[in-house]
Amino acid sequence: MSKPDIKQSYPEHPSLAAVSIAFLKVSLYGIGGGGGLVWARRITVDQQRWISEQDFADIVSLCQFMPGPNIVGIAVCVGTRLRGAIGAVAAVSGFLLIPWTIGFIVGVLCLQHAQNPVLQHILGGISAAAAGLLVATGLRMMLPHRGSPAAVIFASLGFLLMALAKLPLLIVLIGLAPLSIAAAGFQIARAR
Amino acid sequence: MSDPSILAALTARLALLSSISFGGFPTVLPDVRHFVVVAHGWVTDQEFTNYFALAQSIPGPNMILMMSFVGWKVWGLPGALASAAATFGPPCTIYFASYSLWDRFRDARWQETVRRGLVPVTIGLVIASGTVMARAADVDWQAAAVTIAAATLMLSTRLNPLWMLLAGGTLGGLGLL
Repeated sequence: MSKPDIKQSYPEHPSLAAVSIAFLKVSLYGIGGGGGLVWARRITVDQQRWISEQDFADIVSLCQFMPGPNIVGIAVCVGTRLRGAIGAVAAVSGFLLIPWTIGFIVGVLCLQHAQNPVLQHILGGISAAAAGLLVATGLRMMLPHRGSPAAVIFASLGFLLMALAKLPLLIVLIGLAPLSIAAAGFQIARAR
Repeated sequence: MSDPSILAALTARLALLSSISFGGFPTVLPDVRHFVVVAHGWVTDQEFTNYFALAQSIPGPNMILMMSFVGWKVWGLPGALASAAATFGPPCTIYFASYSLWDRFRDARWQETVRRGLVPVTIGLVIASGTVMARAADVDWQAAAVTIAAATLMLSTRLNPLWMLLAGGTLGGLGLL
């Protein structure tokens, strides 16, 4: 936790430009489904220390319940938390403007060419590594909760129902969330 | 295809679908396909599949890009811009409103309970999406080894994850996966 690239201070209000650039990085580094989450956590929690691990997990939970691309939601919520509505605009602009323009131009050019096998293999290798990074990000988020048996049980259930039983995300959330919240309520009541 | 009503119809449909895409935009992809391929024939099935594969392999906002390719095919650059806006605009508004509401009740006791209940389920789902992606990407044991190595390195070191993506891409490009 004491590497030089990690800031020890906790800036209350980072500049709009900093917020925008952070989400520009999240956008450009995140390849494949869920890739942005890896970078959003690394940049906003580990490197910049703009928000706590708990706030980040809160935001991810909230975004999973809302419609739309979750990672855009994370940009909106982190931006709002840091600088209010204008922060949300800065984060979303950083996330979208440049990456969309580059991606759109590259995409339209690619669509005019046939499927190149070398390109396909490179993309395949990147996706394999990206999948490992996403699993590791989930495990990292779990670290603060490993002492709570209920948390471990519900995290495992969520994992099993989606990865092995292959139920749709919304079904898993609606099915597990009330039980998990009830268990948490019971735990809190008992602790008082 | 220069009829403005086509542009309006596509934009309106995408805005509606993005507003109800609970669980992420991929959940409404079948509906988008039905609308543009089956019902209107603006895009062929093959084109739709190509857009998906391409959007998945370009860094950045994948689903927004994919809808921009659809919009580009249907109505050129205005179509691409309108489709992009329809895909991220409505969800952004919903995210902002709900986060502001959540933030207002930050200190409420019920929120602590909801948080403690929701967060573990969410984390389980994040790990699950990683393994679902791995299942699609790991076509052989070499690719699976790359996935496991990337996860291990990320957990045990502070190495920049870009190196792992670069290594994966290099191994793939050399035909080793």
